[in-house]
Amino acid sequence: MTDIVITDVNKMPNLRVFYEKTGRAKYISHLDINRCMQRALRRAEIPVWYTEGFNPHPYTTFALPLSLGFESLCETMDMRITRVMGCQEVADRLNAALPEGLVVKRVALQKNKPEKIRRADYIIRMDFEDCGPEEALTRLESFDRLEAIPVMKRTKKGMKETDIRPDVILSNPCVEEGFLKLNLCCAAGIEKNINPTLYLEAFAQEAGLEIQTVHVLRIAVLMENGQPFE
Amino acid sequence: MPNRQISEKLDRILMQVQKPAHYTGGELGSVVKDPKEVDVRFAFCFPDVYEVGMSHLGMKILYSLKNARPDIWCERVFAPEKDMETLMRENDIPLYGLESFDPIREFDMIGFTLQYELSFTSVLNMLDLAGLPVKSAERTGLAPLVVAGGPCACNPEPLCDFIDLFILGEGEEVNLELIDLYKIAKREGWSKEEFLRRACRIEGIYVPSLYEVSYNPDGTVQSVTPRDGAPAKVRKRIIRDFDKVFYPSSFVVPYTDIVHDRAIVEVLRGCIRGCRFCQAGFIYRPLREKNVDTLCRNGRDLCSSTGYDEISLSSLSTSDHSQVESLLTEMVQWTDDKKINLSLPSLRVDNFSPELLETVSKVRKSGLTFAPEAGTQRMRDVINKNVNEDEIFNTCRTAFEGGYTAVKLYFMMGLPTETMEDVEGIVDLAQRIVDFYYSLPSRQKGKSVTVTVSCACFVPKPFTPFQFEPQDTWEMLREKQDHMLAHLRSKKIRLNWHDADTSFLEGVLARGDRRLGEVLYRAWKKGCRLDSWGNHFHMEWWKEAMEECGLDPAFYANRRREYAEVMPWDHLDYAVSKEFLVRENQKAHNNQTTPNCRQQCAGCGANQLVGGRCFD
Repeated sequence: MTDIVITDVNKMPNLRVFYEKTGRAKYISHLDINRCMQRALRRAEIPVWYTEGFNPHPYTTFALPLSLGFESLCETMDMRITRVMGCQEVADRLNAALPEGLVVKRVALQKNKPEKIRRADYIIRMDFEDCGPEEALTRLESFDRLEAIPVMKRTKKGMKETDIRPDVILSNPCVEEGFLKLNLCCAAGIEKNINPTLYLEAFAQEAGLEIQTVHVLRIAVLMENGQPFE
Repeated sequence: MPNRQISEKLDRILMQVQKPAHYTGGELGSVVKDPKEVDVRFAFCFPDVYEVGMSHLGMKILYSLKNARPDIWCERVFAPEKDMETLMRENDIPLYGLESFDPIREFDMIGFTLQYELSFTSVLNMLDLAGLPVKSAERTGLAPLVVAGGPCACNPEPLCDFIDLFILGEGEEVNLELIDLYKIAKREGWSKEEFLRRACRIEGIYVPSLYEVSYNPDGTVQSVTPRDGAPAKVRKRIIRDFDKVFYPSSFVVPYTDIVHDRAIVEVLRGCIRGCRFCQAGFIYRPLREKNVDTLCRNGRDLCSSTGYDEISLSSLSTSDHSQVESLLTEMVQWTDDKKINLSLPSLRVDNFSPELLETVSKVRKSGLTFAPEAGTQRMRDVINKNVNEDEIFNTCRTAFEGGYTAVKLYFMMGLPTETMEDVEGIVDLAQRIVDFYYSLPSRQKGKSVTVTVSCACFVPKPFTPFQFEPQDTWEMLREKQDHMLAHLRSKKIRLNWHDADTSFLEGVLARGDRRLGEVLYRAWKKGCRLDSWGNHFHMEWWKEAMEECGLDPAFYANRRREYAEVMPWDHLDYAVSKEFLVRENQKAHNNQTTPNCRQQCAGCGANQLVGGRCFD
């Protein structure tokens, strides 16, 4: 990673921290991640910009919140710093201060606005009650040929039926180590946000299967042009 | 690497429970060791849910203390919520340590902290979830040894069937002495009985199975007889040099919301006040405090290791610290600097100077909390709460003029000698504070005042001057609550109180004897656990259990005890003499107060623990 050294204190940059959330850390909810990161920033003594209200706290924002129970290789946290500190140093300090399961991969200047996010890629591993992975694979392949996948989706106006077929792309379904493994590319971002669980539950229901375990790993957050969000 | 078998099972169920992060550990500051490198594995169990247990300072201290030793690995264990318990039982997941995920039944020692009586059934339930027999006699091996300490260990009799030994008093030294003895036992292959016979010679260790209790025909205790060389009286332990005692430089920092999620420094132990209802005010005697420098260092260390942006000063009465002004000044200085909020519970009304208030209000303006405890001066004299009305109003004036508009007042009802007039006095006092606010020309303009009255039901506790007193019955308490409501005039006053049922059960267990062990067992079998949570509390099951055992709860809760009666806890020595408690009880009935320990020694006996003098 190229280190950025800022010399002009009046132009303190907006930094984006790219981090992984894996293992036990997947059970930390989005709200708790926020608090957890703020504490890590304090422990790491990173000169992060504080809000100036009644109760000053480090100002951080997170693009595309991750569902509870999902792991991810591509989480981001945005913040502003108030004094010169190299990106590598920010990353190193944070890594020394973060608990198990949260690892900063790199820190860089913010390139894209979160509004540019359009899609997210997931790898999913799952197994089922009373159904082997091979059989599940066959049923998944036929499920994915459906013309429409209507699901009930929570909206601002309550539960509403939506067809998620155009918003989810299945790829590479296979059997691996006793699990059904698949990739899903789902619409994501401010305009349309499809949780992969919607597709998986619709599949289980259609195929008459009961999901036993499901591991979801987010591997990429992408923009309109297919480029990663950076 | 956490235990694989359990973590895989957990992975299958955790998304079905409400708060998965309560069961996964891995928090910053949690200590992971190699089990092959340690001699003793200790499961520190808090018999309540994660968010409560994780807030508890004693656990943080003992966790760090044990883990500071390379030969000990101490892990945390909490009671699962009902949803998690059901799934654990369905999926054969035994109760496990949050650090290793290993089943605690494979540990050397399992230690419970007994913070309140209503957690007793959760102790049984946790042993059962661990896959262990709940009764001590049915666990025949040396390991796991089941021990318990904490304030309720001062009358542990209802738990004697289940716990192998109790640790009385402060744990920093005695816990390590006990573990050292255990290491010898383990190495030399002692039986459990042999270990217990030797352990009872350590000061502060009470082995209930070495004491025979006999009863009088009227159900009171006739005698408690030790055997096998157990001491006739077991004395609690204290730390003599409190300033030098071990204190953690790091806490386990949870991800999820817990009740008290902040750094804590422990200002002092013990209390000089001698409020007659307050068990903590007697069982933690004598007063010992830490130096200002030590406290600031403790605070700085904790904040930098945890990243907490809030710190609180913990004690029974922080304003009784001999250097309170310099303590607060220095604390405010460095916390301000680091953008850390300082919170100050337990500040008393009577020595609340304007300077002190100014320092405090620089920190943060929210509500102010006082505990007059009783509504009339007569009643306050009975309980030895040495606060008078002038002092209350002076403090309110300073507070209101300093911009505060909300006051929370703590009271108790059902106090000994209480009349309906005293009960009305609670509402009257709140009303006069409201009126007083509006009479102040200097108050904040255009702002309304709120006086919140929080009313607990008084529960007589062992080792207090009120240990002889009957507790008000449920009917009396309800009548008093109704009376208060009827007396209430203003919408500026908010009234809330504790549930009379749970207070009644607390009263039964607090002064209970060994015969309640069977009641606990039956109540737990019927499904009682997490009794302090309203949604889990089932009084009817408790009543059934009492009935099946042929015991009357009123015998324990609502009966006046003679001074000469042998109390179930009389063989435990908390350094306050029974003669002193009798004297204080008599003074209470004569509406007489006792000065605080700094003004004049009341001769309770605790001075023996520190070599004769409590103060220089």
